[in-house]
Amino acid sequence: MARLDIENLVKRYGDFHAVRDVSLSIADGEFLVLLGPSGCGKTTTLRMVAGFIEPTAGRVLLGGQDVTLLPPWKRNAGMVFQSYALFPHLTVAQNVAFGLEMRKIPRADIEKRVEEVLALVRLGGYGGRLPRQLSGGQQQRVALARALAIRPDVLLLDEPLSNLDAKLRQEVRVEIRELQRQLGLTTVMVTHDQEEALTMADRLVVMNEGLVRQVGSQRDLYERPADRFVAGFVGRSTFLVGTVEAPGRFRSNGGLGLACSGGMAGPGVLALRPERVEIGPPIPSGPLSGLDNCLPGTVEFVSYLGALIDIHVRLSTTDRLVVQIANRDGGFAPDVGQSVHVGWPASAGQVFAE
Amino acid sequence: MTDTALAHGPVVEKRRGESLTATGLLAPATIFVALCLLAPLAILFRYSLNEFIPTKKMMVEAVTVANYVRFFTDPYYTAILWTTVRIAVTVTAACLLLGFPLAYVMARTQSHYKNVLIILTVLPLFVGNAVRAAGWMTVFGSKGFFNATLQGLGLIDKPLEIMYTEKAVLIGIVAVNLPFMVLTLQSVIESIDRAVEEAAFSLGAPPLTMFRRVLWPLAMPGILAGTILCFILAMNAYATPFLLGGPLFKMMAPLVYNQFTQQANWPFGAAIAFILMTVTLGLTLAANLIFQRKAAR
Repeated sequence: MARLDIENLVKRYGDFHAVRDVSLSIADGEFLVLLGPSGCGKTTTLRMVAGFIEPTAGRVLLGGQDVTLLPPWKRNAGMVFQSYALFPHLTVAQNVAFGLEMRKIPRADIEKRVEEVLALVRLGGYGGRLPRQLSGGQQQRVALARALAIRPDVLLLDEPLSNLDAKLRQEVRVEIRELQRQLGLTTVMVTHDQEEALTMADRLVVMNEGLVRQVGSQRDLYERPADRFVAGFVGRSTFLVGTVEAPGRFRSNGGLGLACSGGMAGPGVLALRPERVEIGPPIPSGPLSGLDNCLPGTVEFVSYLGALIDIHVRLSTTDRLVVQIANRDGGFAPDVGQSVHVGWPASAGQVFAE
Repeated sequence: MTDTALAHGPVVEKRRGESLTATGLLAPATIFVALCLLAPLAILFRYSLNEFIPTKKMMVEAVTVANYVRFFTDPYYTAILWTTVRIAVTVTAACLLLGFPLAYVMARTQSHYKNVLIILTVLPLFVGNAVRAAGWMTVFGSKGFFNATLQGLGLIDKPLEIMYTEKAVLIGIVAVNLPFMVLTLQSVIESIDRAVEEAAFSLGAPPLTMFRRVLWPLAMPGILAGTILCFILAMNAYATPFLLGGPLFKMMAPLVYNQFTQQANWPFGAAIAFILMTVTLGLTLAANLIFQRKAAR
């Protein structure tokens, strides 16, 4: 294993900037996740690290060595593909042995290593099967075993779980993470699934439109999003559009005067996490009146999610807010059309300049 | 007991309905093949066992293998068979060699012009073999475009002899067969996940190794289908060897035609036709077996 450094990586296709200027350092043994919507440049970045795409500018350093111009077969990067990309005409053992044969390792050692790696992914005894005789989850583990067998300097995972069903995905998530820790693998994973990203990563990179928008821990991204995009992409936010009149004072386009934390005077948006907003009956001096912001509103839509309930509240002609409450016995649960009060402390609202 | 019988009743009825539908769907093609292919073949085979009296140019009913014996004992005819096989094998190899890279590019391209490429590949098929061969004649003749250009450029003194040689026939049949090979290979390569190639690269396989260990074995069904198609077409080529090969160059299909129309020797023509068919089929099956055994290993 080794550290991986990406320096000012750029990829242009004609006028289209797939990746604008990405610099990242991944420490030895770190699990980094590139997160973003489709077309944000995360896969292009990963494929440049793997060597499948030649960057327009910038450098890729693997263990301190510049590999930018090396073809993929001369980099020691293990890759797991979204479609697994197992060799359908080879058995499980032959698939895993492929990379070892390329390295001209003696036959006896190859057999030993294949057995070890298959045992590692709990597929001991499956060596003689063909990929099509395995379930999706098993195929995924063969793909992982094949990438691990070559003892790669870096493990690259391209949406490795997106072809698994929801339940299996949660299990494999934990498995990959444990294996990664146990072997101390420097790992870069690409995903658009934020739950997957949040549960697996040491550090997350949020990308959009070819740019890195924010790098940080799960908590950093959720509690202190760097911009409106991150606030909307990691977790959920309601955005109220308006103007920051002065630091700490926000006026929405619907005319609501709100207390917020910080912000520079000028046009901006106020982002609110649905679970940080409280909701209660419309009593003028009720329990919510102690909060920095307490406003009357009307329930427009209720979405029942089981453990949680989403309540969409109309505050003015242009302002609508989502409040998420826990589904508790005897808790306040308004119906559509009902008048309510919503409230939140100034610290719950984050302001971004527009 | 009654319950099961009741439960099975409708299922059986449905099955019968399905088999009726299947029969209905298969019947037209089956009848067509039986009437238009098997029956004439049977009659032709019967003819090939008849006797021919050259002086009267007449066919006499008989049961004899004399026609077959004549073909295989006369070096003139066995040489023609050998030439045909040699040409067909060379053409097939050339088509595979030229067609694979082309098919690969067409299968993998992301370009908007992919459909244009496919149409360009198929375009030659819009022109009949005879018309195309006539076109080749104007290009490759001693005063044709090719020689005139080379001579004009001062690259050669005497015109190159291409027309009425084996070279011309080879070039001609390759041109005719190439689209079949390319289209067959392209559809199979398209069905191979691009990521499989990348997986081989990332595991340390350089392009040639990737090709040998991954792409070639995975494309094998297409390679087999393409080579079989190409081989059969080449074995039975008629217009191209006839027009480009000239009067001295002989292949099997023109020979069959000659026996039927020029010599009016139906029994011998029929025998040659059957020999051509059997050799084609036999070589195809043999190649198939060898390829499959290799793939299985």
